[in-house]
Amino acid sequence: MSSQDNLTDDTTDFGFERVKTAEKAGRVREVFDSVAAQYDLMNDLMSGGLHRLWKRFTIELSAVRPGQTVLDIAGGTGDLAAKFSKLAGPDGKVILADINAAMLSVGRDRLIDKGALGNIDVVQADAQFLPFADDSIDCITIAFGLRNVTDKAKALQSMHRILKPGGRLLVLEFSKPTSPLLSKIYDAYSFSALPAMGKLITDDADSYRYLAESIRKHPDQESLLEMVEDAGFVDCRYHNMTGGIVAVHRGIKG
Amino acid sequence: MEHDPAVIAGVTLAIEAAIARAIALSPGTQKQLQTLHSVDIEIQCTQPSIAVFAIIDQDGAIQLSNYRETKPTVSISGTWREFLSVASAADPAAALINGDIKISGDTAPLLRLQSIISDLDVDWEEPIVDVMGPVVGHQVAEVIRTLTSVSRSTHRRMKRQVSEFILEEGRLSPPKAELDSFFSAVDDLLLRTDRAESRVKRLKKRLSSLAGVNE
Repeated sequence: MSSQDNLTDDTTDFGFERVKTAEKAGRVREVFDSVAAQYDLMNDLMSGGLHRLWKRFTIELSAVRPGQTVLDIAGGTGDLAAKFSKLAGPDGKVILADINAAMLSVGRDRLIDKGALGNIDVVQADAQFLPFADDSIDCITIAFGLRNVTDKAKALQSMHRILKPGGRLLVLEFSKPTSPLLSKIYDAYSFSALPAMGKLITDDADSYRYLAESIRKHPDQESLLEMVEDAGFVDCRYHNMTGGIVAVHRGIKG
Repeated sequence: MEHDPAVIAGVTLAIEAAIARAIALSPGTQKQLQTLHSVDIEIQCTQPSIAVFAIIDQDGAIQLSNYRETKPTVSISGTWREFLSVASAADPAAALINGDIKISGDTAPLLRLQSIISDLDVDWEEPIVDVMGPVVGHQVAEVIRTLTSVSRSTHRRMKRQVSEFILEEGRLSPPKAELDSFFSAVDDLLLRTDRAESRVKRLKKRLSSLAGVNE
């Protein structure tokens, strides 16, 4: 299923719901406005802390070196940006971008608390219309953000435009479990335990139901790989993690 | 078989945290490690097939990772059994060099790192005091220190006494000097036998040639 299919009749997916394309960004914003304050806590609870390991491997794959410019799209609460800040060093730059002001605000506060703001810029931006010059970024990461973007193909093209030749894109996102048994367990967990946890901690079961639904509507490993290639990236590949529950896709700008 | 990167990331994260904690509690170690800044070590286990990279950053922290694109300063590879035998050897540096583990690249930083780690002098009092407070924490740390010291000296004494009992009191095994002398005598006898054998062969040859002349 491609993002273009989503856009027929000017409607798109919002979880299992069909909404007008122009409405999706606003609906996604409402979800993240609601969960922003407890986002990291919920991530830890929902994934059993595994999201830290998935992000750790993504950072390793980025191979960021001192002096490089890194853009973390949908960077939310800034956990990746803090790590990149250290890798890029004082001569490098990290840009924390998110479409959601509430998430960025939490992220900026966290980075200030960690003392990691020296080489970090915070930018509110839509992944489909990235406000950066062509060929200006060494590495782009988008962790658990692409599935919330209205037009994924447009976002990938926008990322391709601003990357320097040889620069790399890393997309960390929920994907399709490789084992049918794991898939069943995962489904039961996502649609029962996840909204219950959301209700308990943020008093908002609907937002977490949306998160589970949006994961199911997101392209699987091979479809996303094709989308990354279609956006113009070369040497594309992906690594499954935790039995395919999550996958990290990598593409290089040729 | 490809390993799940998340599993390797979890293991490296736990080891990295343990190393960082030990280094933080050992005064001076971090400064020594800073001299090895940018040293990149590849540890490649061939059975099972896992590669882990260790890099020392500018703060002297050891960072472990599952993926690296730059060429390592030094690469060591072997099976898990070989790595285990190095880790449990009395002299790991000698075991590393003389064992079956393959080393390529610059070995000097590796030996320096091994020396820094073997000199690690962890001050366990700090975390205990953090939890129990300075008065009780110090007393507990003193007790642990005394117990550790007693256990070390008891271990040394036991080792010596058992050796003495086996050799001298129980006469269960001959002393090393006696064994050396016995082996030397066996070697000497072997040489003499070889010489006697070749002498007999020579004499036989001579006799047969003399018998041929007389006929």
